[in-house]
Amino acid sequence: MTDQANQSRRNFLYVAAGGLGAVAAGATVVPFIGSMLPAADTLAASKTEFDVSTVEAGQLVTIQWQGKPVFVVHRTPELLKQVDGHDDKLKDANSEAIAEVQQEWMDTPEKRKYRAIKPEYLIVVASCTHLGCIPLFKPSEGRKEWGDSVPDDWAGGWHCPCHGSYYDISARVLNGSPAPHNLHVMPYQYKSDTTVVIG
Amino acid sequence: MLDKIMKTDLFAWIDRRTDAGAIIKSQLTEYPAPKNLNYMWNFGSLALLVLVLQILTGIFLVMYYKPSAEATFGGFTVAFDSVERIMRDVNFGWLIRYMHAVGASMFFVVVYMHIGRGMYYGSFKAPRELLWIIGVVILLIMQGAAFFGYLLPWGQMSFWGATVITNLFGAIPVLGEYIGQILVGGFAVGDPTLNRFFSLHYLFPLLLAAIVGGHIHALHVVHSNNPEGIDLHKPEETIPFHPYYTLKDAFGVAFFLLFYCYIVFFNPQMGGYFIEVDNYVPANNLQTPAHIAPVWYLTPWYTILRSFESKLLGVAAMGGSLAILFVLPFLCKSAVRSARYRPVYKIMVIMFFIDVIVLGYCGHSAPTATLKVVGQIATAYYFLFFFALPLLPKFEKTKPVPEGI
Repeated sequence: MTDQANQSRRNFLYVAAGGLGAVAAGATVVPFIGSMLPAADTLAASKTEFDVSTVEAGQLVTIQWQGKPVFVVHRTPELLKQVDGHDDKLKDANSEAIAEVQQEWMDTPEKRKYRAIKPEYLIVVASCTHLGCIPLFKPSEGRKEWGDSVPDDWAGGWHCPCHGSYYDISARVLNGSPAPHNLHVMPYQYKSDTTVVIG
Repeated sequence: MLDKIMKTDLFAWIDRRTDAGAIIKSQLTEYPAPKNLNYMWNFGSLALLVLVLQILTGIFLVMYYKPSAEATFGGFTVAFDSVERIMRDVNFGWLIRYMHAVGASMFFVVVYMHIGRGMYYGSFKAPRELLWIIGVVILLIMQGAAFFGYLLPWGQMSFWGATVITNLFGAIPVLGEYIGQILVGGFAVGDPTLNRFFSLHYLFPLLLAAIVGGHIHALHVVHSNNPEGIDLHKPEETIPFHPYYTLKDAFGVAFFLLFYCYIVFFNPQMGGYFIEVDNYVPANNLQTPAHIAPVWYLTPWYTILRSFESKLLGVAAMGGSLAILFVLPFLCKSAVRSARYRPVYKIMVIMFFIDVIVLGYCGHSAPTATLKVVGQIATAYYFLFFFALPLLPKFEKTKPVPEGI
């Protein structure tokens, strides 16, 4: 009788000690994995200021924000026209699929289409949503300038050299691309007429 | 010579304290190896040789290499400059670095031959399943070590290769972004990434060394397979590992070193296959090279990734193509091991080897419409091969296997 009582008591102690040991080991993992997450200075919300008036009409400039490349494109009226007429070829024409592709200010169909506070200046994260390469800017329509690298009904936009994703001139991904989403739009606001604060 | 050493007083002194004599006997001089092993059985010892070379050259490179992405006055980065310094200023630095870079590729040449041998002669089948599984773990760690190492020169291919591979993890639902951040240590590949990859590049070979020990131990429990793929029962079918196979392995080493030294001294970049030309351009996070491809030994899996339009499917297929190697021993149900006595399997496995080469070629080339279709067909065959294995014994008429050798 006492033997049995001792045995169950012993089993309880084994399980309790082993369980606590496992919990302690698990807790020890936390700081180690935690140390691999971005450090405080990396996380520190860095903002980038940029004067969009320095971008010539039709030009693309790549700037850096939080170590990530960002496209600033000055779209001419001709380029803005190229946004229309191919909604059926887009995976997410209205940028609704995930939070990263939209911003609060996209409150009208117009703004969802141009994906910019000021339609003439498109500002998007320059990382292909497939595997993070920087897509090549191929703005003009058709294959004249780009050859076989773009489809024959090319409406202008970006072509990712790594795995062949295509984006239109509003950085919306085309059907048949390996990239799942439109290029991300990061938070930004205009401090003055031409100075934009990204972040 | 070994027996003379074993008769010395010094050896006797050591033997009384470590039992070294018994270990040497059971593992070398009296370890039974099949007497009919062909040269395909040389690649295991060669892999061990290259592992030792990699660890040795790596330790010497670290005496000069600096893992920092900080910009220098020259306009490059500390890491890139330190590699160039090794190449230009450090005594014999060029030699040690080329030995290391070429060694990485040769490691995969040797290990892929070793794996191919195991598949052709059915060495993965019972009772060697765990031996094979440990081998697959070694392959994965090797691929990890190679991937981490490739970032260190901080060239364009280093940077964009790392960007692409770390972005792969983003496809994993829920945890993906978290895992990506843990790997990269920031929002994009940068200085923190370089530091942790350097740390892991040092860790993985140590893991390799330990697991290779386990691989050899597991081998010495179940003993080597042989070209006939049959179990050996009679003592006259085996010969002691030492001196017979130590000598044969030494001959293989000499032959291997001939190739290795040729490449190291005369063609270290191997036409852009062993060291990609783009990697002599310092990393630029604002410009992706026109065509990025991993080094040749990772390209078959890269093609599998590219063959799918959905990112998640592509990543899952790539992971699955490696994971399926783990269950190969359980997929293959035939009672006969060697392809010599399995006419259908023989054709299938040779086609599989060609298929992997085709996959590798597709992954190394710039994506075109034709190559994409070729890659998709090759991907389909890759999986078809494994899924057909369980059904194979139902219609394959195997040839009679010999009684003994």
